[in-house]
Amino acid sequence: MTDDSRRFTGMYDECRQRVWAYVVSRAGRQVADEVVSETFAIAWRRLDDVPEPALPWLLGVARNVLRDTIRAEVRREALSQELRSWTEGDVADQVTERLGVLRALAGLGEDDREILILVAWQGLSPRDAARVIGCSAAAFRVRLHRARRRLKQAMDTPETPETAETRGTAETTGTAAPSRTRVRNLSEEWS
Amino acid sequence: MNPIDELRAARPAHLGDGPVDPRTRAAELSHAMAQARQTAPERRARRGGGRRVRPAWGFGLLGAAAAATAVAVVVVTAGGTAPRPGPAQTVTSTLDATTGTPKATVELNARDVLLAAAHQAARQPDRTGKWWRTVQVGRTLFHAKDGDYTVVEQQRTESWTPSATGGEQYGITRSLGARPATPEDEEAWRAAGSPEKIPVAVPDKGGPGRELTLSTRPGKERIDHSPLVDGDKVFWLGRNVTMKDLRGLPDDPAELKRLLLSSYGGHGTESSSDPASEEEWLFAVTIGMITDMPVTPNVRAAAFRMLAELDGVKVIDQVTDAEGRTGTAVAIEQAVKMKVTDEKPSGVLQTRLVFDKETGQALARETVVVEPGGFQAGFEPGTVWNSSAVIEAGWTDTDPS
Repeated sequence: MTDDSRRFTGMYDECRQRVWAYVVSRAGRQVADEVVSETFAIAWRRLDDVPEPALPWLLGVARNVLRDTIRAEVRREALSQELRSWTEGDVADQVTERLGVLRALAGLGEDDREILILVAWQGLSPRDAARVIGCSAAAFRVRLHRARRRLKQAMDTPETPETAETRGTAETTGTAAPSRTRVRNLSEEWS
Repeated sequence: MNPIDELRAARPAHLGDGPVDPRTRAAELSHAMAQARQTAPERRARRGGGRRVRPAWGFGLLGAAAAATAVAVVVVTAGGTAPRPGPAQTVTSTLDATTGTPKATVELNARDVLLAAAHQAARQPDRTGKWWRTVQVGRTLFHAKDGDYTVVEQQRTESWTPSATGGEQYGITRSLGARPATPEDEEAWRAAGSPEKIPVAVPDKGGPGRELTLSTRPGKERIDHSPLVDGDKVFWLGRNVTMKDLRGLPDDPAELKRLLLSSYGGHGTESSSDPASEEEWLFAVTIGMITDMPVTPNVRAAAFRMLAELDGVKVIDQVTDAEGRTGTAVAIEQAVKMKVTDEKPSGVLQTRLVFDKETGQALARETVVVEPGGFQAGFEPGTVWNSSAVIEAGWTDTDPS
């Protein structure tokens, strides 16, 4: 194994799940593997450009790949499924507070949610997170402050999820919604 | 509790740092590391534009006449897809220069394969930059005049097409030298004294044919540049189009087909007098677009979807191009004549696009002999007579040096 492939493999093992989790949080699980795969392909091609630590750089690349390759509508549909799965919670882990936080997060705008996730789940410093989304660190701090405030508001005044009553079991929503999505996408693409 | 801390604690389990599934890990690592590494200068050239390094397309169908003069033929306008100053050369197509023999092929359900390729093509990233740059290697077979062997002439062409109007396009060409096409040919060439200069016969329209001398030595690099046709035309799609036209093509297959066919004049792509069916014409123009041009991913996808609906099209799996890369081919056959006035076709050729079905990216365009005759007289059926392999295609912000 060459030095490059050793370095690359190490970077992959260290960062892959973080990149995947970030992509899932922005576009759902359906497209995540594909975006992650392309992100690391780019990382290999441009290995000489990849800084240490690599994670913020990789997240920035993943963000671009997502924007460039996944159509906005597909992304929104897949994401809404993902967000539903968060707020339904793990069967084994129905902690009310935790669900409340996730519901609040799911109800925020996309930009707020991304900022909060980069900081809270990816563990990035404001400076690194700013690099991922391409703004200044100062601007990021302002945006983070506002996003945090809106999250707090949403946590303090929980809305009943509008689908709560019709949701039924996880299985029914889990299958009905995506099949509808698929049909629409296909008919669009093949028209 | 700080909302960020609460949020941190609430992270769904599946978004945590668990181990990667080993199969996924193996697949992703090998996919990544199969990519060409960009060297420092290459990276500089791509910075800003930075598209994938992976190849994408071929250039025009070199006509036999064009191929014969290939050495002299320009680079910038030599391809079938460069904008044309006027009516262009001849007919033709291509065949594989390296193997020369038909291979075992697997034919698939063309429609399904093309729709899948369309799906993949639509997912490729789309970027633009200052220049659209392609590097292609064209190969054409010739029979040696003195001796019973075939040689393949190889030429590298690098094309730079500006995204802005009013500028110039650049072409950098270099002959990579002729070489015997197969090991058998090499033996015959050695038996002939391993000549460095190889006179070859070139069938010509009507006459007894012309003679051309190829050299086994690589030639000098030649740089051509010329203002864009009309100041803004960059490619030919049945008519000359601007970069803006190209980027704004419809991504609906039916609309795309309508638009392309609006330029169809009842003849082939390479001659104003060679009759070709509408479908053959559309196929030739479309694979040119897929291989040569910086259309958006959705338009490339629409092009594959359009091909999927053509009747005469077939798909062949496991095709190896002249660069040794394996891909899938979409192909159409057509009878060709040396001259329009000929009553009967001189032969049948297969024109095909070899592409990577995982990405919808073009690897090469090839012309394969189906029924020898005319310019392809004396070549075995299945021979790849002419090909153009895409080595690189992508955007760059660096100017040609």
